[in-house]
Order: sequence, then structure tokens, then C-alpha cells
Amino acid sequence: MSIRVDPMFIDVLVRFGAEDVQLCYQCGDCSTVCPHADEVYRFPRKSMRLLQMGLARKIETTLEPWLCYYCGQCSEQCPREADPGETMMSLRRWLIARYDYTGIARQLYKSRTIEILAVVLMAMLTGAFMLYFGFTNGNIHIYDGEGAFLPSRFIHKFALSVGLIMAIFLLINAFHMWYLTMVKGTPYPIPWWLYLKKILQLPWHFFTQKRYSECEKKHETHIHMPWLIHLGLMLGHLTMLILVMVFIEKLQSGPEIQWSVHIFGYLASIGLIAGTVYFIRNRLKKNYIQYKKSHGTDWVFVILLFIIVLTGITQHVLHRTGIYEWANVVYIIHLMVVVPWLLRTPFSKWAHLIYRPLAMYFAAIRRDALALQEVALDSNPVFIK
Amino acid sequence: MENCRIGVYICMCGTNIAKIVDVESVANFVSGFPNVVLAKIYKYMCSNPGQEMIIQDIKGYQLNRIVVAGCSPNMHERTFRNALRSAGLNQYLLEMANIREQCSWVHNDPKEATEKAKALVYAAICRVELQEELESMSVDLCPNVLVIGGGIAGMTAALEIADAGNAVYLVEKNNHLGGNLARVDLTAPYFYSARDLLTERITRIMTNKKVNVYLESKVTELTGFIGNFKATIQSLDGKLVKENKTVEVEIGNVVVCTGYKEFDASRIIHYGYGKLPNVITSFELERMIRAGRIETKEGKIPRFVAIIHCVGSRSSEFHTYCSRVCCMTALKYAHEIKSANPGCYISDIYIDMYAFGKGHEDFYRQSSEAKTLFLMYEKDDRPVIHKASPKDGCEMLIEVSEKLSGEHIEIPADLIILMVGMEAHEDSHEIARTVNISQDKDGWFIESHPKLEPVATTTDGIFIAGTCVAPKDIPDTVAQARAAAARILARIAKGKIEVDALYSEVNEDKCSGCRFCNQLCPYSAIEFFEEKRKTHIISVLCKGCGVCVAACPSSAIKGRHFTDQQMLAQVDGSLCTIDE
Repeated sequence: MSIRVDPMFIDVLVRFGAEDVQLCYQCGDCSTVCPHADEVYRFPRKSMRLLQMGLARKIETTLEPWLCYYCGQCSEQCPREADPGETMMSLRRWLIARYDYTGIARQLYKSRTIEILAVVLMAMLTGAFMLYFGFTNGNIHIYDGEGAFLPSRFIHKFALSVGLIMAIFLLINAFHMWYLTMVKGTPYPIPWWLYLKKILQLPWHFFTQKRYSECEKKHETHIHMPWLIHLGLMLGHLTMLILVMVFIEKLQSGPEIQWSVHIFGYLASIGLIAGTVYFIRNRLKKNYIQYKKSHGTDWVFVILLFIIVLTGITQHVLHRTGIYEWANVVYIIHLMVVVPWLLRTPFSKWAHLIYRPLAMYFAAIRRDALALQEVALDSNPVFIK
Repeated sequence: MENCRIGVYICMCGTNIAKIVDVESVANFVSGFPNVVLAKIYKYMCSNPGQEMIIQDIKGYQLNRIVVAGCSPNMHERTFRNALRSAGLNQYLLEMANIREQCSWVHNDPKEATEKAKALVYAAICRVELQEELESMSVDLCPNVLVIGGGIAGMTAALEIADAGNAVYLVEKNNHLGGNLARVDLTAPYFYSARDLLTERITRIMTNKKVNVYLESKVTELTGFIGNFKATIQSLDGKLVKENKTVEVEIGNVVVCTGYKEFDASRIIHYGYGKLPNVITSFELERMIRAGRIETKEGKIPRFVAIIHCVGSRSSEFHTYCSRVCCMTALKYAHEIKSANPGCYISDIYIDMYAFGKGHEDFYRQSSEAKTLFLMYEKDDRPVIHKASPKDGCEMLIEVSEKLSGEHIEIPADLIILMVGMEAHEDSHEIARTVNISQDKDGWFIESHPKLEPVATTTDGIFIAGTCVAPKDIPDTVAQARAAAARILARIAKGKIEVDALYSEVNEDKCSGCRFCNQLCPYSAIEFFEEKRKTHIISVLCKGCGVCVAACPSSAIKGRHFTDQQMLAQVDGSLCTIDE
């Protein structure tokens, strides 16, 4: 069965950031320097080839783009300046759009205008809703407790609703990812018990991002800063998410500091600030090859996150110092950024939080299944699916 | 035999010879022989002091035969012959004994090697006694030149020669000059207009009084030898050439630039050329480009264009060679189609991208930048073209196993361009026979040395240039044409042709006229006088290979400088037992 080449696909991918992939002449230098490519997962070379040929139906079933942490060595090595690292990045963007049933992700990636409009619209709606709620039910001079402008019980319910919506979309997309890669895209049988055997891969990669630490960079320090910063950013975000979803009422009570929750908040804030500042600085300075090209969505991602942290800290400080009116105002601004940011999760870069560990998990399963298949083929050559 | 006075010079060649062969003992051995006036050893006989020693000895001792024992004659025979000449001795009175390549370099035992060296030197002494004084001769050269083929190669060669003031007869089969290049619009990779390249040349040819152009004509006969050929030019359409159907011209040299013809794409059945209307050859696309509109047979602008490389080339079924120009021409098409219709998607289906020339790699990169989709196929796993169904959204589908991805794919196409390779003209063997040159298995003319004599042939005075030798691009073709012209002009400037003294002679008294040797000569140097019924060797053409000498049943042919007596004396000398 032959698969149809789509010469137009490369033009679609330009919108996702793959600007130089046509230059690749398949020498394979990228795969040679990549610390993660091996004989089973042959990227970036193979991924680039599939992209050039426009084999979208093939690409959507691959896990390779997620196995790359974009250290940029391949792009430095590339003799044709085809930028394999950025190509893998744009494939991840395309996959996020592909996993998403609604088509929202595609629109957000393809048009910067739509993306900004969507953010602004969500922010306006949130702001209007909060103002309406605050002025009908509360007093701008009160921050928490009885008659508060934005009482924490209300915020808790609101956060849980937004989180639920986000989680539903994200889970649907993750399910779609599983279907495309493990059902549709795997030509050999996968025994169910492999899913159990490899289950620890999921938390391991989620919490350690071990493979990122294996991406060597000659010109960076030996403790591998990008990995640490990235890990800090992710853990900070995760901590914040848990705090907001579970402990918001304790978090918002005051004015005295609740060390049992706030200590985590402070730690998370440090991680988030360090991460966002580091990545914004790198993207501005373009000092390493992986920061040379920034897609619009990359900027939206770090800038929104930065504003969230900044406003979060500000309102926290204002609250603790008793300037409740301004604390409420900044809180609204904070929410105006948080809501679009949270709701965008399943449709944007942030979804890699879940897709990447999943891909690591799936890849491990696939590798074992392939080995089993080879053993089966060796002992019984007729067995071919 | 006159009074022989032989000088023997044994070279040590640094330590090359001396470390194995005891040169002094060899010198002592030979010095006692009759006719040997002196035997000397020296560190480097080929050095200036070494040569000077020989020259002084010839003068001082009235030596009239010289034996140099040292390296191979291939290496230094010319050197020592020059030494003899400067001493006033005929250069053919020298004999070299090879005691380096054939002795010291290949033996380990010094004793046996020394014995062998003695035998070799003794054999040379025996031979040199019988050697005769020989004189080179020279023949006059007619400065006119015949150029066969009026393409870019022929015109370039003709202009070079005519601009130097010599008459050129330019014979072209078609009714116009320009050859295959006249069918091309732009050239790769710099997009020079082919028309511009040609018009300038054609105008210069037509206005040059030294060039006589014969269109729609061919050379039917060529007789004679280098410097003194006679060619018969016949008009193909029966029109009069200067009131005659044929003309006979006298020439000294010939340049053959008959070019190539394109591969017939209909020979590859699964490309459907001739059956599918939108499968066209590269030359058909050139016509479209010159007409200014690239479109399908239905008159639509194609959205998907596919270019298939190596049509007829690099295949075990058709031609195994690479046609060299198609890769860059294909990239040129990709560029031209894309500029004419920017919305068009181009798939370039190739085996290997040969971007060997100046500017070619950059051109390849530019095509990549312009998003040409390069798809690689395995040499003998050719693509197959199918007609597409209406729902496919294109005219045709090309099925191929793509090598770099390992996927079996189909490529949409509205217009498919077959990059037809070059092949030799069907009638190239006629030309080969007429001017007496050889062809390889593919029909290309063979040069006399693939590296050092790329434009000369085994027949003196016949040169080849351009794509009749092998597929090549325009710069290479022009370079060869100019090279051939330069070789000819050098000869014309000399005015005479030096003929080596080493040729064979027929003793007519002994010749029985059996004609046995006539068919054997690899240089066509033997003619037969019917009326006398005797064979005659044209000394100008003879290279002295000795085939006829060995073949003659009546021993009527003598190879000069390699006579039977000389050879037998040498054999006897090398085999006789040496008593210490």
C-alpha cells in the first residue's frame, strides 16, 4: 500500500515554524549527534524526511517529536542549516494541533492575530465577570472572608471549573494521542501487560525529565542549566496548580502568612520567576540555537506566565500589607491572565506537560513490543500482521 | 661491420642498483669483451656530470656505440639519446640494459642479481653492435581542417582554427547550425541564454571567409594520412554544392564533433511516454519554455509537476553511464517552472544528485530553498506512472519506493518531465568507419588516452571533441573543442610532421602479396599496390608496433631498430653461459 506524498504540507508547517526543512538533504548528521536517537527512534533525520514528503498520516502516528528536548546540537551540526531542532519543535506544535479535536489549537498556531484576540477576549470576559461578581456580591475594600470582593470559596469553585474544562480537553487530546500513536500507528501487536510493566516511566519522566539532562551542550555548564531551569519551571507550575486547585482558601486567607501552604507558594514562585526570566532572556538574546527562532506562541507562553507570577506576587504582597483595594484590582488582572492561560493549556505548548511523559511511556512500550515482535518473527516467520 | 667501439656505462642509481648488484664486478666482466673500449660506473648516470662523461668519452675515445645499464628506457632513454646527439653520434646507436626495474628492484640475492645484470648488459652489447644509424623524417602538412558537426563544439573548433588564418570545411548534417544546443532555451546553472551563445558563433562562422559551411551534407570518404587527407563531402538533399553533388577537399586534420541524440523515452514502457499525453521529455519542455507557456495538453497550468531523472541513463537495461547534464537541467526546469508559476509544486525524482561542476552545488541548494521536493529512488527500481482517478485531484500518480524514507509512496503529478539521457547517434559507426576511429560499447568514440589524450584518437590527425566522446556539459564540450583546435594549430604552426624513425618497411622483393598483414595493422598504416601486388607501409602512420613483422610469412617486413638480427643477437647474448 503506497502512501500519498503531499508537496503542500511543507507550506502548512511553515506556519508552525518549520522554515528551513526543505534544505535538508538527509545526510543524517543530526541523528548522529542526537543523544536520544537510536535505531528504533530515528530522528530528527527520519522526521524531517516525513515532513518534507508531507506524509502527515505517518507523522501523526510518530512519537519521535516528543522524544526530543531541543538541545539544539543537531541544528548546530547541520551542514545545510536546515535547523532540525526547530523542525522537531514545529512538529510538536503541529502534533498538539493534530491531537486537538476542536481545531482551536490549529487556529491559535496558524494566526498570531487569532491567538492574541483569543487571549484578549478571554481576559476581558474574565475581567467583566469578576467585576460583575465583585460589585454585586462584595466590597472592593474587603479582600477575604465575609463580604469579600472575590471570596476564596468562590475563586475555588471557579478555579475547579476552569481546571475541569481544561482537564477534560487535555484528557480527550491525550486519548487521541494514544489512539493515533499506539493503535493506528503501531503495525505490530502491543500486549496489554506492557502498559502495566512500563507504568513507572510516566511519573519518572514527568517529575525528573531525566532525558533532558542527557542532552549535552558543550558550551554550557556541566550541571546543565536548561534542564534544571526547565525542571524548576515545571515543578513550580505544578505546585502552583495544586495550591490553587486544592488549597486556595488557605492560600487566600490572611493577612498573616500561612507557612504551611505559603512556603510552597514561595518556592514555586522562585521556580517560575527563574524559569520565565531565563527563557525570556534567552529568547531575546537568541544566545543558543534553540532560542534563535521563537514562534508567536512561544512568546505568548512565557510572557503570560511571567505576568501571572508577577501579578500573583504583587497581590500577595498588597494583601499582606493591608492595601486591599489594590490587592483586589491586581487579583482581577491576575485572574484575567490566568484564565486564558489555563484554558489554552490543551491547545498550546503547555500541553507538552502531559504529552511528553506520555510519549516517553508509549515509546518504552513500543520498543518492548517491537522486540517481542522480532522474537516472534524469528521463531515463527509466518506470523506477520 | 665497421669498426665497433663500444662504451658501457653502468649506473648505480644511488643505491637503487648498487646495493644489490655488484656494479664493479659487472664493469670488470664486460671490459674484457672485444669491441668494448671502456666500461665505467657512476652514481647517477642520468645526472649532468654523468651525461657529460659520456659525451666526453664519445669524443675522446671515438666511441660509436653506447650501452647504458641502468633504469628502464621508459625513464631515461630520451635523456641518453640526447647525450649521444650532442656528442655528434646518431641517437639510435644507444642501447639500454634495464638492471633496475628488471633486476635490482625485484631480486634479493646479490650474487644472482649480479649474474643477471651481467647477462643483461652482455645482451645489450651483442645487440648494439648490430644497431644502425636511423634518421627521423618529416612530411608536409596541409593547413586546411575538416570539422564534422556544426554544434557548439564544431563551431568553436572551426572558429579557433579559422581565426588563426586556416581554411576550415564545416560539414553539418542538418539544415542549420547549432546542434542540440539550438533546442535549449536557457543553460544551467547561470541561466545564460543558449540562443545568445549560438547566434554570436553562427554569425561569426557565416561571415568568416575562411570557413566553408556545408549544410545538409556528410563526409562519405576520407583517404590519406595525417597532414595529407582527402575528404569527400556529399550533399544529402541532392542540392548542388558549388554546382556539384559532391566536393572533394584536401585537409591536414579532422575534428569530429558529431554530438549526441536524446534517449527515446518510449522505450521505458512503464513511463507511458507516447501514451499518457502529459508525460513529456526534457526537450519538449524546452519547446514549451521557448513558446512562453508551460501547460498540460489540455491547456491547463499544472499544479503538480514531477521531474524524473536518469531516463535511459544509469540503468542496467539501457545505458549504464551517467549523462551528466540532466541533474542540473532538471534543477533548471524546477527553477523555470517555479518562476513561471509560483503556485506550482515540483517533485524531483532522482537516483543521485550529481552536482559536480562549478556553481552546481549552490544551484542545488537554491532549488532546495525554493522547496523543490527531492525524492530518491533505487537505481533499478524505477517509478511507475499511473493515470489518476478524478477524486485524486491530479492527472497522474507516480508510484515509487522512496529510498531515504523507506516508504512506498505515490506522488501526484499533472505534468511529468522525463530527463532523457544522451546516447550516441545511430549512424555514429558510419562516421567512425569513414574517419577510422573506434567506438566503445555504447557507441561513443574512443580517445587515444582517457587521461592524457582526451581529444586525440588512435588515428593521427583525427580529433574528437564534445558529446560524441561521452556525455558532457557545455563548458567541457567547448574546452575539448578548443583543445582539439590547439593541437591542430600547433601542428600547423610547425608546418611539418615529424615521423619517428621506428617504423616498419616492406622488402618488396620478398613480399608475396598475400595481404596477410593488411587486416592486422591497428593504425591502418598498410596499403596495397594492386598493380604491383605488393604491400606498402605508410611510414607516417606506422607506430612500429611490429604486428606485421611477426605476421609476415615471408619475413618481408623489417621493423626498423627492431630487426630480427638485433633481437636474436640480444636473446643469444642473454642466454649464453658466462664463464668467470
